[in-house]
Amino acid sequence: MAWQWYRFGAASLCLVTGIVFMILAVFGVNRFHKALNRMHAAAMGDTLGILFVFLGLILVRGISFDSLKLFLVILFFWMASPVSGHMVSRLEAMTDEELGELLVIRRSRRIKAKEGEDSPEDRGESQAER
Amino acid sequence: MSRRKDNYETSRWRQFMQWLAGEIDPLTAAKVGMIQEKAETLPDEKMERGKVSTLQATPGNESDEREAHSAAAQAEKAAGQAKSAMAAEPWLNQPSGESRGLRLYRRFYQVMSILLCMGIISVLLWTIAYLPIFGNAGNPDNNEVSARYIEKGLDETGAVNMVTGMILDYRAFDTFGESCVLFIASCCVLVLLRIDNDGGSESWKKRQTEANDRIFEPKNDIILQKCACVLVPVILVFGIYIILNGHLSPGGGFSGGAVLGSGLILYLNAFGFQKAERIFNGKIYQRITVSALTFYCLAKSYSFFTGANHLNSGIPLGTPGNILSSGLILPLNICVGLVVACTMYAFYTLFRKGGM
Amino acid sequence: MMGIQQAYQCLFLGAVLILALLIIISMIRSVLGPRVADRIIAVNMIGTMTIMIIAILSVYFEENYLVDICLIYAMISFLGVVVLCKVYTGVYLRDKNMEANMEAVEDNLSQQKQEVHDYYENE
Repeated sequence: MAWQWYRFGAASLCLVTGIVFMILAVFGVNRFHKALNRMHAAAMGDTLGILFVFLGLILVRGISFDSLKLFLVILFFWMASPVSGHMVSRLEAMTDEELGELLVIRRSRRIKAKEGEDSPEDRGESQAER
Repeated sequence: MSRRKDNYETSRWRQFMQWLAGEIDPLTAAKVGMIQEKAETLPDEKMERGKVSTLQATPGNESDEREAHSAAAQAEKAAGQAKSAMAAEPWLNQPSGESRGLRLYRRFYQVMSILLCMGIISVLLWTIAYLPIFGNAGNPDNNEVSARYIEKGLDETGAVNMVTGMILDYRAFDTFGESCVLFIASCCVLVLLRIDNDGGSESWKKRQTEANDRIFEPKNDIILQKCACVLVPVILVFGIYIILNGHLSPGGGFSGGAVLGSGLILYLNAFGFQKAERIFNGKIYQRITVSALTFYCLAKSYSFFTGANHLNSGIPLGTPGNILSSGLILPLNICVGLVVACTMYAFYTLFRKGGM
Repeated sequence: MMGIQQAYQCLFLGAVLILALLIIISMIRSVLGPRVADRIIAVNMIGTMTIMIIAILSVYFEENYLVDICLIYAMISFLGVVVLCKVYTGVYLRDKNMEANMEAVEDNLSQQKQEVHDYYENE
């Protein structure tokens, strides 16, 4: 009987850790100011939160076919989540003109023909939603 | 037997194969004649339209009738002009003064269509009012049908998963209709969104859409490509697992087909249209969808025929729980899965590029 | 003394409730988020938490087919993020092109410069 309670303790510890990570992620997503910072917070939930919650569930289930599937979900997330983060960051770096990425690239490319007239507008232009 | 046929190019088999591959239109040969015929039958159409407008006009109102007659006469005149002009569709560019009958006809058409829709809606609502109350314990679907499914479903269909046994055995024609709806929906989207290849050569158009894709969208993303190399086979295998295990565990054709389609879409997103066309294009779409639907229809018709006439169908049900069991459910699941996967992929490519 | 079953029940129910609350909070962010990327991030987080809820429910009800749904959900949400990012980048760059700001396109897609030149020559 006692080892069942030990297992419950370990599983609940893992679950609670994962949920704390999720709380931190949601807090960060709501508190940070720019999309790239928010992504930084969200990635923690996508990796560590998923890992601990599913580890807790695997501990509850024991060794079975379902545990393998839960493990596959973890594996899938650890493979897919960085890629989706990369896509989002690429979108953000490409479309956000207040970040200054475009200006840096433009200067390094030495395209200065229109920069004097264009770039202040580009900078000040707020890219609202589409 | 091995004599080479000289007239293969003009043989019916060759024409059939070309038609199957979508290379020729069987109506193109008759098109020129049809246009002539259209132009000749035009005055009759105009007369009919004029008659319709006279019918719509109230009897006894002479002025309306006279106007309708004059409209018909004008329509005849315009038709004569159009005949001389020999345009493909002459009624599109006729002078505006004579089209009073036509306008009346259109107004009549609109009113009648609205009336027809209202009539159908009211009949349906009236029918619904006679249905038994929803959720009533005495309804027939609450005692007899479901009890029959639960008690005898495993024996009669051989499927452990009762839902699959219902939708692919008892109500298989319902599922067939759903698959056909998917096919028809993708056909309609194809008709509406297809990029017309009439102006300019086809290869030029294709190159232009490819360039469009390359310029405006980040396709050569090495991280996404490497990830897709790992994930796409896993997703496809998982989709096949869901389809093949449809009669044993929840899942089946629809969800498995959706997973297969999403794997294909991921491949397309990572590698672009040019590489995706090597494994999937419009021709393959046509063949897979049509053959899957045909097989579904024939197999299920046979099953229904033998079942309704109490014949021995010769389809073994197998041991419930095995992967090769439950008779026709496994092939039907595969058919539905193929149709759904093709439809998802076709929708995506049509909305993104306007072609397959 | 609480039985082991009740303990698991309380644990799972508490976890599901907290996750549901978090979903509502991140839904607020997905509505508020000023840019498209914020919304995508928030929706992705909602997907992650939904997957967690489904997995917890699958263990709670001991229905093992729910784990399959987790896998499918993860795939679809990943695919959604990829497609949305591609489409919005394309829309943005097309808009910029209409404003005749073509340097942005050339700079951002410097690795595809050859194709850009081909495109212009053809035009």
